[in-house]
Amino acid sequence: MTATATEAIEAPTRKATSDAWAPSVGGWTARLLVLAAIFGAVIWTTANVPSYWADRISLAVIFAIIGLSLNIILGYVGQVSLGHHGFVGIAAFVAAYFATENAGCSIDSCSFGTFLTATAIAALSGGFAAMLLGLVALRIKGLYLALITLAYGFVAERSIFEIPFLTRGGAGMPATRPDGWATDREFAFLCFFFLAAVVFVDWRLLRSKVGRAILSVKHSEAVAATYGINVTAYKVLAFILSGLFAGTAGSLLAFRAETVVSNDFNFANALLWVLMVVVGGLGNRVGVIVGSAFFALFPFLIVLIGPLEHFLRDTVGREPDYFTIVIGSALAILTIILHPGGIGDQISPITRWLGGKPFSLHPDGHHHPKEPKEKGPGLLAKFGLHREATESEDPTTSELAALGRAVGRTTPSDVSQRQTPLARDGQDGVQPPDVWGALVGRKDGGNS
Amino acid sequence: MRTGIVVGVTGALLALVLLLGAGDDAGPNAYIVIGIAVGSMYGLVALGLVLVYKGSRVFNFAQGEFGTVAAFVAYVLMEQVTSVDIPYWAALPAAVLAAVAVGLLMERVVVRPLMDSPRITLLVATIAFALLTVGVEIVLFLPEAKVLDPLIAATDASGNPNGIEIFNYILEPQYMIIIGVLAALAVILGYFFSKTDLGLAILATSQDSFATRVVGIGVERTSRFIWGSAAFLGGLAGILYVPISGSLTPGAMTTGILIPAFTAAVLGGMTSLPGAFLGGIVIGCVQSLANWAGNTYTITIDDVVRPLQTIVPGLPDVAIILVLLLVLLIRPQGLLGTEA
Repeated sequence: MTATATEAIEAPTRKATSDAWAPSVGGWTARLLVLAAIFGAVIWTTANVPSYWADRISLAVIFAIIGLSLNIILGYVGQVSLGHHGFVGIAAFVAAYFATENAGCSIDSCSFGTFLTATAIAALSGGFAAMLLGLVALRIKGLYLALITLAYGFVAERSIFEIPFLTRGGAGMPATRPDGWATDREFAFLCFFFLAAVVFVDWRLLRSKVGRAILSVKHSEAVAATYGINVTAYKVLAFILSGLFAGTAGSLLAFRAETVVSNDFNFANALLWVLMVVVGGLGNRVGVIVGSAFFALFPFLIVLIGPLEHFLRDTVGREPDYFTIVIGSALAILTIILHPGGIGDQISPITRWLGGKPFSLHPDGHHHPKEPKEKGPGLLAKFGLHREATESEDPTTSELAALGRAVGRTTPSDVSQRQTPLARDGQDGVQPPDVWGALVGRKDGGNS
Repeated sequence: MRTGIVVGVTGALLALVLLLGAGDDAGPNAYIVIGIAVGSMYGLVALGLVLVYKGSRVFNFAQGEFGTVAAFVAYVLMEQVTSVDIPYWAALPAAVLAAVAVGLLMERVVVRPLMDSPRITLLVATIAFALLTVGVEIVLFLPEAKVLDPLIAATDASGNPNGIEIFNYILEPQYMIIIGVLAALAVILGYFFSKTDLGLAILATSQDSFATRVVGIGVERTSRFIWGSAAFLGGLAGILYVPISGSLTPGAMTTGILIPAFTAAVLGGMTSLPGAFLGGIVIGCVQSLANWAGNTYTITIDDVVRPLQTIVPGLPDVAIILVLLLVLLIRPQGLLGTEA
């Protein structure tokens, strides 16, 4: 979040300062080489792994698109969507229905133009479905909105995905892959193009006036409104954008599976998608892509570590696939409690360096050579196990702690003010300047 | 006013019974009986949701999983432990205790560290914990359906159904146990929250945890108590419901029960324990009546007479969601809630 949000808001001031640090020609060359190596490795892997894994990679790419779609609602708008399987599934059925019933694709052949049209229509239908939800989100926020999105997905799952003419009576609606992109490997490359397009749109839009408006609405609707930002329109727009991405992903999922059945889009999937965005890092584009791909490729990664695969298959007696949910949700819990920035925050020194800034391990990306490292609460203290560590020097807190001890009911860890923001700017131990909050004298991030 | 609402809702249900199907075999009466039975199940899960919401101000997505854990523990004790023959009455408390242990673990590992964070964060954390439990169940028991026997068998030794007959519908003994347990719990919990010190401390914590600390109430202790008792209710619900539902799969209580139970809790007001009870029954009846309507009413398309059910698939579930939407948009404080 931080990188994109602060950049977006501070963009004008940064241009105004002329003495900003910039890498030398050699520095740029090194960055380009590293970028080329990363992309080359991804493409080489896709081109050379067995076909079964190329299929899995296409799933990872589609998951990344879904992750970016959810990221708009979770990271930029600051709400939770538990009904994303609704958008994705509706779009998948629409794409398959159009390709098979309207455009006349047979089981053997389907033109590329039809595929593109089907995907465009699917994206629009996803956007429309999300717009309906966005209109509800204007009145309801927070926990109750989460419940509404859950209900939305539930209706889609139990009712819309069971309509006989969409599912062909439960047998599934066929969606033939387009000619020229029909093998698993070719289709994986096709998915990469769509991911690139989605990333581009997401990146450019967030840097624009629209993106700044959406982010400001997340910080405080009241402040945004006083600046003349149309809160209603931008909120709905964010939902529509999320739905467009989800629809694109739905269409790709349909053509990847080649038969769309309702069981592919269930409640558990939607929950897992939310967790993968959280693990990736809310609002962090690169982190979300890495996190989503990790969730899809998890069994692949286990197979890469031979002894681990052997242990799981032979000693434990379970397929690696079964462990995705356990590991994924455990990672999500750890991320939320210990490192809310997620993967995106962990790899931020690298992504910042690639983006043309000096290499720095410091969270905010500036050089602080002589400053001693800030002491945040330790690992044990975060779970409230290491009680001394949480005694803070803040007078009110320690007085209260003393009071608590005197009464004999509370312990010092009770009163430690701990902040673990999920949908808020901030990295471990460092509070970003809360511009909007300062304006209205508000200390809370505004996500309750 | 609250008494008025309770009387009104109960009266409306009775009026439905009398108006729609007095003496008519094809009428909805049997469906209303099923609705009340299933609805009390939703009420039982909703009680746990309300309890957590009162204490921690969060929707607990792991509430259903407490039940699945209890059901799996009961299954293991009764079916898989073969060296000792463990009877039902011994397996049941053990299973509920296991659920309580999971609840306390969750409180310690997930809820306590996030006590002061935004509620949405805690919501996502409960989702993660629910999925973690489902994942562990998948690894341990594989995604296969298993069967757990009911407390009292639905049929006796000669094959005749047990239970009492109401409006041509034979109510299984298990359902009667659920209705009894729910009614008893609603009364006990209602007394607990209005009269006892601990109950009032929990309410105080939910309203202002900082002020509660200042007056010397251990917030950790109340939190532990809330999650432990919520897990107890969830475990009880799982043990009672899974035998009726027919199959025990990983995440059984989450996929089947959680969403209707949330609707019941919201309809009841999210903070009201009797409201959860009432909401559960109403949601059960709405679902069951929608099922009846879907089977009974027909639509003629191209000279083919089709039941409504085939035109609108999943009609009972859609009806539940419509209730949820209407409540949130028109009366967010629910039937018996005191706040929006």
